[in-house]
Amino acid sequence: MAIESRRIERLCVLSADDVCTIDGKARSLLRTTGIDAGAEPFLEIFSGIGAKVGQRGRVTFPERVIDDALDSVPNRVLLYGRGGALPLDLGGDKVYLGTGGAAVRILDLEDGRARDPTLDDLADLAWLVENLDNIDFFLRPVVARDIASEALDLCKFYTSLANTSKHVMGSVGSVNTARDVIELASLIAGGRDSLVERPIISFITSWLVSPLTLDRQVSNVLVTIAEQGIPVALSTAPVAGSTAPATLAGLLVQVHAEELSGIVLSQAIKKGAPVLYGPVPAVADFRTMGYAGGAIESALLNVACVQLADWIDVPIYADAGLTDSKLSDVQAGYEKGMNILLLAMAGGDYVHHSAGMLESMLTVSYEQYVIDNDIIGMAIRALQGIEISDQTLATSVIEGVGPGGHYLTHPHTLAHIRTDEYFVPATVDRQGRAAWEKKGAVDGRERARQIAREILHRERKGFILEDVDREIRNRFDLTGCLRGPGNE
Amino acid sequence: MLEAIKQAVLDGERKTAAELTGAALKQGVSPKEILDQALTPAMDIVGEEYERGDRYVPEMLISAEAMKGAMVPLKPLLADAGVEPKGRVVIGTVDGDLHDIGKDLVAMMLEGAGFEVINLGVEVTAEAFVEAVRERRPGILAMSALLTTTMVNMPVVIDALTRAGLRDQVKVIIGGAPVTQTYADEIGADGYASDAASAVKLAGRLAQK
Repeated sequence: MAIESRRIERLCVLSADDVCTIDGKARSLLRTTGIDAGAEPFLEIFSGIGAKVGQRGRVTFPERVIDDALDSVPNRVLLYGRGGALPLDLGGDKVYLGTGGAAVRILDLEDGRARDPTLDDLADLAWLVENLDNIDFFLRPVVARDIASEALDLCKFYTSLANTSKHVMGSVGSVNTARDVIELASLIAGGRDSLVERPIISFITSWLVSPLTLDRQVSNVLVTIAEQGIPVALSTAPVAGSTAPATLAGLLVQVHAEELSGIVLSQAIKKGAPVLYGPVPAVADFRTMGYAGGAIESALLNVACVQLADWIDVPIYADAGLTDSKLSDVQAGYEKGMNILLLAMAGGDYVHHSAGMLESMLTVSYEQYVIDNDIIGMAIRALQGIEISDQTLATSVIEGVGPGGHYLTHPHTLAHIRTDEYFVPATVDRQGRAAWEKKGAVDGRERARQIAREILHRERKGFILEDVDREIRNRFDLTGCLRGPGNE
Repeated sequence: MLEAIKQAVLDGERKTAAELTGAALKQGVSPKEILDQALTPAMDIVGEEYERGDRYVPEMLISAEAMKGAMVPLKPLLADAGVEPKGRVVIGTVDGDLHDIGKDLVAMMLEGAGFEVINLGVEVTAEAFVEAVRERRPGILAMSALLTTTMVNMPVVIDALTRAGLRDQVKVIIGGAPVTQTYADEIGADGYASDAASAVKLAGRLAQK
């Protein structure tokens, strides 16, 4: 749910001087240490724009090369859905929050047991998200394990697009599947040009493995996507203390350098290629070195990254909503609540991982999407602040009612109780104890499950037209994907 | 002297641990005494502190490094005296996967626990794993993968070992974010560990068999 009007100041955790310092140190790191770009075609791509290729694949970046890339990279990226909603307008003041992840486990809605996700789960999750108003986009959240890995990329994009009209984002494993997925999306969008003009899909590429090392296979995928002009998030995920310095500031210098090098690469492939600055910074729990996605320090890092993206004026693929809990419990609630609110307040453009995730990025659960839909709604409501106008100050209403009166049936009350003034979360319980007990005395998790079940049982409409579907199936083997329209 | 070596390992002072070990040997302390009364007890304490959550992983690793430092002068002498290392482990990240931090963590902790570790690095092909098993004769082969797209290379390695007639000579253990015990069972691995500390325990159990 994008905010229409923001009334609170953006949250900053860095001063303007701090931001400038980190940006300067990152640029200097790229000048001196650079990245390991491996081999061709990347050495040629980089040297073609004036970066320096040293020994054993090391590439360093003169200041001018970085500035040129920042000049040509788009400052605004529009991502489209296929419903009535306005496109996601990234790079300005708006905040969008949606799903994320490539989880390898899902909690079964009925028995709560962690199991392998299937393509049917992906379809159900897409439909669930379609019906949860505060979730703005559908980043493919699970890895369907019942489908061969060669067919997975195409099937996951098809299944997502068939079950939600919201914008769909995902990764692809190879250059060939990238081409296939772009072709599939072109058929749905009504041609390649329409897709580029109004991208209904976008990609994530984890093109770089921290610290500072290009992943050649994924970077080849990035080349294909950037050449075609489809928006792509440049995702790099350093962890403090293992793949980045243990200090938060040190991690920021490194991740900003990594992101700058990615922007340079994208612009070297194609000037004007739309990309999202995509840091996924994190901390570990040093007792185990396990990923600590729900840590408050992760939120601080992500807010700082929003500021860094703002500084170089590139839209950000930010991260909030992770928890390290294994189920939708108290820990999940406070970790998610805090980091989603902080990132929304910071003004992250495209905030992923914001719905459904558990166990950092490893698990999702149906009920968690419903709960997070409420958390996002509350965060966005907080951003809207308090509207001040003659109408809302209501002095004439107060005068009219006078001392000792009441406002219950006043026209002013009736005019405002169903407006944006109030956000009504679906999963909270505000009844009295007796009424709550009468309804089974269940907690928020159970209420969320009930809502999820209700949505999954709604009559579904397919989001791919029948003739287009036929065309797609003629072109591609989608034997495993039974969840298209008419295939229920 | 033994107490000082133990303390150096606890403090993660590699240079001091090595120097003190050298000095102790010169004074005529036996290698076995140094191992049994200084190094092993130190790593036991490190392990206990870790289990309690009082010792952080980097603090444990630095102690393991110090232990390795002390082992440098000891190793040949222990071998002469017929004291064997706990076991030999070949470890690597599977083909197509560049992620090495978890695998390196396991390698470092195995070394700290007294294993001899041969780290093949990242993007290790089935052929390279087989070659290493044939050449180095490890008791354990450990594989890591971070991605669902690369974990499928684990059964490929196991098949290659079988084809090379080496499968029954080595225990295969696996780990990494998407990997589970169920997956280990499915592909016929001998063990799975969810984190570095349990990997060390698992290796210890398998080495005793």
